[in-house]
Amino acid sequence: MTIWAPVAACLLAAGGPACAAPLQDDIAELSLEQLSDIVITSVSRQEERLGNASASIYIIGGNEIRRSGARTLPEALRLAPNLQVARVDARNYAITARGFNSLQSNKLLVLVDGRNLYTPLFSGVAWDIQDMLLEDVERIEVISGPGATIWGANAVNGVINVITRSAKDTQGGLLAGAFGKDDREGSVRYGGALPNGGHYRIYARYADADDAVRDTGSASSGYTRRQAGFRADWDRSRGGLTLSGDVYEGNLAQRGTGAAQISGANLVARFTRRLSDDSNVRLQVVLDHTERNQPNAIFERLDTVELEAQHSLRVATDSAMPHKVTWGATYRHSRDRITTGRTQVYLPNDLTMHWGGLFAQDEVALRDDLRFTAGIKVEHNHYTGAEVLPGLRLAWTPDSRQLVWGNLARTVRAPSRVDRDRYAPAQPLIIAGVPRYLSGGPAFESETARVVELGYRIQPTPRLSYSVTAFAARYGRLRTQEPNPDGPAYSGLAEYRNLAYGHTRGVEMWARWQPADGWRLDGGLVVQRVRTALRPESRDPTGGVDLIGADPSHYWQLRSSHDLPNDMQLDWTLRRVGALPRPAVPSYNELDLQWSWKATRNLELALVGQNLLHRSHPEFGAAPNRSVFERTAVLRLTYRF
Amino acid sequence: MTPLAIEPCRRTAPHNWPGWLSVLLVLALALLCLAMSGAAVGQTAAPAMPNLERSVKAAYLFKFLGYVDFLAPREGAESGSPLTVGVLGAEDVAAELSRITAGRTVNGRPIAVRSLREGEPVAGLQMLYAGTATDLPKVLRSAAQNGALGVADDENGLQHGAVINFRIVEDRVRFEVSLPAAERSNLKLSSRLLSVAWHVQKGN
Repeated sequence: MTIWAPVAACLLAAGGPACAAPLQDDIAELSLEQLSDIVITSVSRQEERLGNASASIYIIGGNEIRRSGARTLPEALRLAPNLQVARVDARNYAITARGFNSLQSNKLLVLVDGRNLYTPLFSGVAWDIQDMLLEDVERIEVISGPGATIWGANAVNGVINVITRSAKDTQGGLLAGAFGKDDREGSVRYGGALPNGGHYRIYARYADADDAVRDTGSASSGYTRRQAGFRADWDRSRGGLTLSGDVYEGNLAQRGTGAAQISGANLVARFTRRLSDDSNVRLQVVLDHTERNQPNAIFERLDTVELEAQHSLRVATDSAMPHKVTWGATYRHSRDRITTGRTQVYLPNDLTMHWGGLFAQDEVALRDDLRFTAGIKVEHNHYTGAEVLPGLRLAWTPDSRQLVWGNLARTVRAPSRVDRDRYAPAQPLIIAGVPRYLSGGPAFESETARVVELGYRIQPTPRLSYSVTAFAARYGRLRTQEPNPDGPAYSGLAEYRNLAYGHTRGVEMWARWQPADGWRLDGGLVVQRVRTALRPESRDPTGGVDLIGADPSHYWQLRSSHDLPNDMQLDWTLRRVGALPRPAVPSYNELDLQWSWKATRNLELALVGQNLLHRSHPEFGAAPNRSVFERTAVLRLTYRF
Repeated sequence: MTPLAIEPCRRTAPHNWPGWLSVLLVLALALLCLAMSGAAVGQTAAPAMPNLERSVKAAYLFKFLGYVDFLAPREGAESGSPLTVGVLGAEDVAAELSRITAGRTVNGRPIAVRSLREGEPVAGLQMLYAGTATDLPKVLRSAAQNGALGVADDENGLQHGAVINFRIVEDRVRFEVSLPAAERSNLKLSSRLLSVAWHVQKGN
């Protein structure tokens, strides 16, 4: 205990002005060491500066994740008011923004430190293999809306960018564990200094979860996952180098067969350099290997090499109309090997794929308060050739506290292996000499979306900020299943085509208010309408089963973060998700709560209660075989050394 | 951990929670939080207690002045003339800094705090704190050219040319220092400042 302890304790307490007045002056008397020892309340952090990003962007801070009690990446994503997160079972999630949610959502791009989690199998994310030490996450940027101009195809409805902390900020040791009714996990991490000014950290993790519960018993969806990795950073005054990597393996429970085996490894190298005050470059190389051996279903091995180069420069900085130009190139090479299972076959089994893209964006300040951005990306894929992805943005800042912005964009979802190469079942039933199965369509093209957005952000006082975005989008060439009785050899009874369209409209809004020091309220609301229809020439026998997204008409959340005396924090989140139409899932309200206590400088305890309002509730899928999620309690321990 | 700890109040929870119950629950929770916050809300007469992060940053800025040798000869630098601190894009920090430096001196010199707007010239400052700036590199460059100590509060503050940059590490406000940037600004930092820094960047 140092002499400042009573000072800080008094400052930390949500006390009245009685102890505040003399102590505020005392803070100037503290030494540098004492200042660097004061624990600040994370509630008061202005994590979100009213930036000039003209997009519907919400930033989940690392502290928010820690205070929410989330233990997996998908659970942490629930904190973003502009994301639809539905838990399917113990390990699977359906996550999207702005509609079209499904277990294989394919209109969202997810990156971890610039590494794309995209799988070319179904153009989405396999959420059940994504594990990470959430303690090391700096922030998660969630952009709802199109991001294709920079990120390319598949950033149709949103981009999620998970950014982990620099190794410089994770020095020393950490032991973290969570012990709950349904899941357990433990992590160890250690960070140290490297010669020549670098820093590193290494970590290892273990997590397991029980099968989720069904109304009809239990759903085999539990898992065990083991993962280890490292990150090293060398900062230079004109740039830096980051190296990071992970290896993982796990077992995923499956009904009726042995557990699926998953494993993989990745390595990311990123180099940034400031060429001058007005120009910088960024180079990134990603190597990724992932395997999934799901008995009777699929055995897939995917190897990917991804290269990215980006150059940003300011032009005419001293003129009346300065420009900020960003241009670059991306190249991805994948080899996907799939061994035939009983339920599906992919032809060819062994496929090498390439994606190459060039993009350029120019942001020009038309006036001091008006910025116009035009960008275009041309991306080539081996299925449909070159796709053109243009975007225009306009941002007006009437004063430093307000931003009005608008955005027009065209984006596409390029075909995946499911759309083109899949045949299911592998041994079709033959009726009257005709094998019956669903096949990927050789004529399947990219799905398209044209989006218009209008947004407003304001921070009227330092304690209040809010954001509103209205969006409308037209989707074309959406996937349907079309009968194909007389196609070429080895074409089946139905194949994927693009004979549907859709349109979505909606409003996203969120606000942050700090009514008192040590108390923050965050609220978010999305109201949306997602409509899809078959084109007249479509003969889809399922009536467009692929078009049905499990999309609620509205969902909202209210989160309270409270700092209590004696280094305690109380956080709760109340959320509501509207009913899902097909398959029908009733609307639900739920409450999560976390109470945490920094018992000593190094030890933190947290007690988490989740889904407190009901004994159990479903979030996704058709009754009665869908999973339900029960009221649960978790104890978390974090020890730093 | 047994699930007994959270036995439901009712044996059979209703499957559909009525909307008005949610509203009541929110109100109850809000009232609870309000009660825990003491009288901090609704006190229009007395200003609310400044938040700690802001106070700590302002205190740091005040302290930094004492650990820097302003080598650049400048007019009116004789003892007794004020040390001028410019604060850009952080009016709350400026207000807090004015408050804690009122009546205090550093090496016998009083401190003047100026709240700046983006684009205003930074001549005549000893220190510039850029809380938020749309063009941080430009702001820090002009600070360096004027021999002012550039302090930033940005993830990449040092890369943008700041001499000192605030970082939030493990819920504490820490700062990192760039020696090349100090050299470019013609400033000499005391070894004591460097010993407390979270991180010191040396050379290119």
